[in-house]
Amino acid sequence: MTMAEPLIRMKDIHKSYGRVQALVGTNFHVNEREIVGLLGDNGAGKSTLIKVLSGAVPLTSGDIFIRGKKVELRDTSDAIRHGIETIYQDSALVTQLSIARNLFLGREPLKGPRFLNRMDQEKMNSVAQELLKQVGITKNIPPTTPIGSLSGGERQAVAIARAMHFDSDLIILDEPTNNLGVAETQGVLSFVRNARDSGHSCIFIAHNIHHVFQVVDRIAVMRRGKVVADNIDPKTTTVEAVERIITGMTEGVEDTTA
Amino acid sequence: MQRVRVENRTLLQRLIARPEFGPFVLLIAEIAVFWSFNHNFLSPQNISNTLAFTVELGLIALAMTLLMTSGEFDLSVGSLFGFTPVLMWTLFNSGVTSLEVGFLAALIVAAFIGLVSGLFVTQLKIPSFLVTLGMLLVVRGTALFITDGFPQRTWSAEGSWLSEILVGEFFIGSFRVYMSIFWFIAIALALGYILTQSRIGNWLQAAGGNPGAAAARGVQVNKVKIGLFMLSAVMAAFAGVISSLRTAAANPNSGTGYELEVIAMVVIGGTALTGGRGTIIGTVIGILILRVMRNGIVLIGVPGLAYNIFIGAIILGMMALHSWLERRHQAGT
Repeated sequence: MTMAEPLIRMKDIHKSYGRVQALVGTNFHVNEREIVGLLGDNGAGKSTLIKVLSGAVPLTSGDIFIRGKKVELRDTSDAIRHGIETIYQDSALVTQLSIARNLFLGREPLKGPRFLNRMDQEKMNSVAQELLKQVGITKNIPPTTPIGSLSGGERQAVAIARAMHFDSDLIILDEPTNNLGVAETQGVLSFVRNARDSGHSCIFIAHNIHHVFQVVDRIAVMRRGKVVADNIDPKTTTVEAVERIITGMTEGVEDTTA
Repeated sequence: MQRVRVENRTLLQRLIARPEFGPFVLLIAEIAVFWSFNHNFLSPQNISNTLAFTVELGLIALAMTLLMTSGEFDLSVGSLFGFTPVLMWTLFNSGVTSLEVGFLAALIVAAFIGLVSGLFVTQLKIPSFLVTLGMLLVVRGTALFITDGFPQRTWSAEGSWLSEILVGEFFIGSFRVYMSIFWFIAIALALGYILTQSRIGNWLQAAGGNPGAAAARGVQVNKVKIGLFMLSAVMAAFAGVISSLRTAAANPNSGTGYELEVIAMVVIGGTALTGGRGTIIGTVIGILILRVMRNGIVLIGVPGLAYNIFIGAIILGMMALHSWLERRHQAGT
């Protein structure tokens, strides 16, 4: 069976923290324009896998390929340069700064002579306004509003908008729906769909399997440091069946594409 | 989800919500009270006297504002204020360098001291409280050691161009003006610009507000902080030299306790001790609040020894106000 090279391919990834083996030779892949739900119990290795992919922790051994090309992800800025954007719950934004200042943090457009180091705040504000609309926020929120006065869902929207604007190929969402109300959760899920529809891939991690089922194209399950099933179609599977794989009552089918 | 947002507020409401508003009202009230007790309070002579020393402490507070916005602070500024002029005069008096070269050398040494503090804080992850407390003792100890505790001779500065551009004095009407106030204004404008308009300003606010998120966006949090430690040290050194030239004294003990007064000025003005939010305008107001208080209570006959009671009360009152405003702000009302 020949398939197009996936966007991201992780092959035989090992990661140990001292004597603790968090990842034991796992494979994982994300295709172009798809939302993959990554599920697993606490300690199954989800966050370690994500941290490796976002450059937050170095892997012990294994290879990562982006569109077939091997890459080294030594730190988070490496990952961002390669188009991998990770949105951790609550930690991705600076609450004291405005929406626009957060959107462009680290990549602020300048105007005037370079030595003045002056931010083009007009441009930042107008782009921010446009992006908020694009990601699906219907309310009129001025881009100068500090993140601290936004709701949890709106904050996720800002983080997703930022990833979309800077053309991240892969957006990793770690528990984006945690602590959100029903309406807010639906909002975030639709932001994620919008991101996919405009050409981005997403990894969606959530404890709430029902949220995962609502938004993803494919589900992968991890157990004991390994992806044990990676081709679950949420349309043809039940939540209960996936739960059985997570808890180990049903053996999964390993990723065979890597 | 329905919130009252910033744009719905009136201009007055927005003004009141600004962190600088409370300190500003306090400053006006302070001046009004002192003036009503003693009309000499606003005499040209008193204003000139108050401003002369105000700008010297103020220079340190301006740099400290940026450092504190980035989430760190520096307790060694008072000792640098004493040490740098001692070093400059020692170099000059012993004939090693000219006064100007001694000045430059002393600033470079101060920058190096800031660099070391910054490296300890960012690379060894030691809280800035401990690092700069240690540095305070090292710097003060060095100043005392190289002078045997005695003030340095400073009489030969008169008429040098360095002294002219830093503390040269002239009169506008009956106001005596020192050149140092122009340095203060220029540096306040420059640092205010950096904080609010520049990309570096965005980075240092992010470094103080959420260092993890800033680093994830490729912001060089450590470099920014090290740079600010160097700025703070150089500014303390600069202020120490200005003070030394103006008063024709270089005492290894001078500047003792300034670090806390400076930090008080910054937080009274509305900069968060925990980082992420800072205001140069607020700091300028905070500087004036404390210096006006010190000058005013002496002028109206309150014993100078009672000064700290008032300062303490102001700090507590302002912190209560800022925390109340902050909570209102978070609640979106």
